[in-house]
Amino acid sequence: MSKDMKFLIVDDFSTMRRIIKNLLNDLGYANVTEADDGTTALPMLKSGNFDFLITDWNMPGMPGLELLKAVRADPKLAKLPVLMLTAEAKREQIIEAAQAGVNGYVIKPFTAVTLKEKIDKILEQRANAA
Amino acid sequence: MTTSISSLRDEYGPLVAAMSDALAAGDQALFHAHLDALVHRREADLFKELRKLTTDLQAALERFRIDSRLVDLAEKEVPNAKHRLDHVLRLTDEAAHRTMDLVEECRPLADRAAKQAGEIMDGWRRFRAREIKVEEFQRLVLQMDQFLAATRGDMEKVRGNLAEVVLAQGYQDLSGQIIRGVMKLVDELEHTLVGLVRLSKTDGEMNRESDDARRGFGPAVPGVDHGAAVSGQQDVDSLLAGLGV
Repeated sequence: MSKDMKFLIVDDFSTMRRIIKNLLNDLGYANVTEADDGTTALPMLKSGNFDFLITDWNMPGMPGLELLKAVRADPKLAKLPVLMLTAEAKREQIIEAAQAGVNGYVIKPFTAVTLKEKIDKILEQRANAA
Repeated sequence: MTTSISSLRDEYGPLVAAMSDALAAGDQALFHAHLDALVHRREADLFKELRKLTTDLQAALERFRIDSRLVDLAEKEVPNAKHRLDHVLRLTDEAAHRTMDLVEECRPLADRAAKQAGEIMDGWRRFRAREIKVEEFQRLVLQMDQFLAATRGDMEKVRGNLAEVVLAQGYQDLSGQIIRGVMKLVDELEHTLVGLVRLSKTDGEMNRESDDARRGFGPAVPGVDHGAAVSGQQDVDSLLAGLGV
């Protein structure tokens, strides 16, 4: 995995998408695409050869948890790294996301350092598993 | 009428019999005494009914007052509050984008200043060490002229943008006022509904747990959310580590 990895950011707030995109650009990831909820993101994922998914939970249309489940249920996408970036902070929600197969969970408000750490950790685990 | 004939018999039977006896015996005074007692008892019942009717009327009037306020709240003020909150959303969205636009404009200017200063520093170091050739020095002076002029312009732009970033935070004041207004409305709505529930005396289940957990609860609000929530990213990390993620 290199810096030309293809990211998809899914969040219903354009400002949050922009913040994440900026942070990713700062980390050297320039290939970033955006979607505003699971319903728009899923077909993009299916046809887009994405390397990494960063998604919010609470969105109109398809929420992030359902998107995660749909991704894990699709044989082509099942191994896609998924980072949840959300304000949802209930313990049972985090457990539910973990059970659904999330690779990382960052709660909002977050820092650039946290985002970098989680992305690096996920990519490291991928590299070790490969 | 809830009074059955048997209870009427129990209540008035002895009195009517006593009256009938007094009449048969020709005791006028005793008859009148029994008749007065009978009338008095009826009056007491009548007053009791009248009191109940008055209370019911009062409750009906109170209910009407609450009902009409509720209709007013539901028809006018709640949709109005929705518009106001929409406006808050728009204000915060615009302010966030404006701030990011300004910051993004500043970034290349700062990058350019840092890069050019780095280039000049190299020549400057050699100049200080007296290792520079005349032609190189001339180039350095030219470079310095350009750098100073460009940096002055760039930093003026950065300064202007920073002032605008501060200005863009004005949304907090406006949105805060709107939110406070909506909070007042929610408070009134709550009081009106509680009044209505009190009048209706329905003690139905009030705190129904939302089953729509799949959509998420939104950000944790101090003093509002109950239930086990994590306190920060560290808490999330240890929870996930425990789950093997």
